[in-house]
Amino acid sequence: MGVTCVSQMPVAEGKSVQQTVELLTRKLEMLGAEKQGTFCVDCETYHTAASTLGSQGQAGKLMYVMHNSEYPLSCFALFENGPWLIADTNFDVLMVKLKGFFQSAKASKIETRGTRYQYCDFLVKVGTVTMGPSARGISVEVEYGPCVVASDCWSLLLEFLQSFLGSHTPGAPAVFGNRHDAVYGPADTMIQYMELFNKIRKQQQVPVAGIR
Amino acid sequence: MSGVRAVRISIESACEKQVQEVGLDGTETYLQPLSMSQNLARLAQRIDFSQGSGSEEEEAAGAEGDAQDWAGAGSSADQDDEEGLVKFQPSLWPWDSVRNNLRSALTEMCVLYDVLSIVRDKKFMTLDPVSQDALPPKQNPQTLQLISKKKSLAGAAQILLKGAERLTKSVTENQENKLQRDFNSELLRLRQHWKLRKVGDKILGDLSYRSAGSLFPHHGTFEVIKNTDIDLDKKIPEDYCPLDVQIPSDLEGSAYIKVSIQKQAPDIGDLGTVNLFKRPLPKSKPGSPHWQTKLEAAQNVLLCKEIFAQLSREAVQIKSQIPHIVVKNQIISQPFPSLQLLISLCHSSNDKKSQKSATEKPSPEDHLYVLEHNLHLLIREFHKQTLSSIVMPHPASAPFGHKRMRLSGPQAFDKNEINSLQSSEGLLEKIIKQAKHIFLRSRTAATIDSLASRIEDPQIQAHWSNINDVYESSVKVLITSQGYEQICKSIQLQLNIGVEQIRVVHRDGRVITLSHQEQELQDFLLSQMSQHQV
Repeated sequence: MGVTCVSQMPVAEGKSVQQTVELLTRKLEMLGAEKQGTFCVDCETYHTAASTLGSQGQAGKLMYVMHNSEYPLSCFALFENGPWLIADTNFDVLMVKLKGFFQSAKASKIETRGTRYQYCDFLVKVGTVTMGPSARGISVEVEYGPCVVASDCWSLLLEFLQSFLGSHTPGAPAVFGNRHDAVYGPADTMIQYMELFNKIRKQQQVPVAGIR
Repeated sequence: MSGVRAVRISIESACEKQVQEVGLDGTETYLQPLSMSQNLARLAQRIDFSQGSGSEEEEAAGAEGDAQDWAGAGSSADQDDEEGLVKFQPSLWPWDSVRNNLRSALTEMCVLYDVLSIVRDKKFMTLDPVSQDALPPKQNPQTLQLISKKKSLAGAAQILLKGAERLTKSVTENQENKLQRDFNSELLRLRQHWKLRKVGDKILGDLSYRSAGSLFPHHGTFEVIKNTDIDLDKKIPEDYCPLDVQIPSDLEGSAYIKVSIQKQAPDIGDLGTVNLFKRPLPKSKPGSPHWQTKLEAAQNVLLCKEIFAQLSREAVQIKSQIPHIVVKNQIISQPFPSLQLLISLCHSSNDKKSQKSATEKPSPEDHLYVLEHNLHLLIREFHKQTLSSIVMPHPASAPFGHKRMRLSGPQAFDKNEINSLQSSEGLLEKIIKQAKHIFLRSRTAATIDSLASRIEDPQIQAHWSNINDVYESSVKVLITSQGYEQICKSIQLQLNIGVEQIRVVHRDGRVITLSHQEQELQDFLLSQMSQHQV
């Protein structure tokens, strides 16, 4: 598990999502990366049930349950700004049992699928974010395997991102800001994905207008 | 309790008067109780003068009774008469019988006194002792003694005979019990080595490896039976054992796994020839009873069957470039082209039929004993894995498996880490790799030796390292000239013999990988030798 940066690639002008993805992958292949199969990250949303709110009157919290094919035997559960949990795959079954407390919002299931490229110590994953049948955006994840401390390798990651993303290079992710010298873990990657998915969900109307 | 006053208890006798008559109007007329004098008269009438006075002096009373018998006979007769008269005439004076008895007693006493006084005078009456018989002659005491001794000896003999009878009975019982007890002590010995349990009235045992972690479905139960065909009269044979074990019929005999490498491919028609080599039974330890050897042999058969079943299962399931052939009791695979690896299960039962058919003698070079031993070790390792401490104990909610695999979910292991945990190689693959390595190593050694014997100048030396791995060995090859070994050390090659390749590390740092081809190695070594210069 190395330091990972998850960012969104905006769809190129006048092109569809698929074509942009193809552009990116071609760039990567020209760079010398080798294809190593596919990946998938998905996310389900749960509301805390109204019955547990009681007299406090606060809005129900949202909980996200995510899976990552990179960690095939794990399941991640996150609250928006709160605690997170890494469990094994029996957690999904547990959520079924906790129907009384957490109600799933089935409509907001979001996932990203794509190909996985290995370029020496870098692992690049370019995926299409889909919500239901429609493609909503492009996610790009770059992992630098050898390093686990974010502050040490951020500059290297940035340089690498610039080499193939060009002008669309993102800034430092928010997770880095909190704990610069702490060890980076898989949960931080999932937090980044969660933020990305939320951003894309809010952009709901924009792609419809953008694609002509 | 001391403060409490004593309770007064009054006692009243129930002196109810006897009813004499009940009148017509219900009034009862009571008998008057006897007055004191009347009571005394009644009691006096009841005195029996023929009996003696006092219960302690019974003998005296008996003697008195005897002495007074003749005296009392008359008085009792009188008494009877008197009593009859009394019954008949109740108005008679109640003290009459007492007076009469006393009067007769007085009369007798007077007579006795008179007689004694006359006898004392010795004038008219004398006391004369009764004459006795003369003493018997002197022999009689001896005969008496003899007779008495005989009797006493007979008595003693009787006691001794009784005792002897008891002893013989107990000895015979002991002998019978000895066999019984021997069975139990033998059973105890058996129990120290094998697991036994009692089912109904049968004693069953378990000789499978299931408790050691095996997953083979064979039941492996044997039965313990009592050896009752023993004749107590005849002499008990030396190796008699009161216990006998009955093993399942398919585990009889002895078995072993034979691994061999053959250069030429056999004909297709030869496939499936079942080879039953009658290997001599392994010598058992001299002290172990026959059931131990029997059970150990059966357990060995079971283990060989398990190994072969595992290998054949893998041979069928695992996909490889050249498929493995499983025929009857042989598995044939090709690790290298033109090389065949044969793994066969040789099971010879103790039937007479198979003894006749066993003709071939196994050639010693045929067997690869190291691989056979490794097979046994591998299957035992597999057994241990199912029971190892990294598997048990496990949380109730977790699946049964490796401890780190359970943690792989919560600790978000990625694919590399998960793969490193799972050993994906089966028994067959491991054995094939080991066989390949052994073959490659022996061929490398043969190549170097042939070169060394063929070429005299320069000389080739090979130093094999003692510590090897199952998959890797190494040898250091030096090319020198005779007499100049210390001076020219220019060509030193380190050969690492792996499973399929030979990696050569030259002294000047070059690393060359050679394939398994014999010719490649030979050519390379020849080239090195030709480059050698003093």
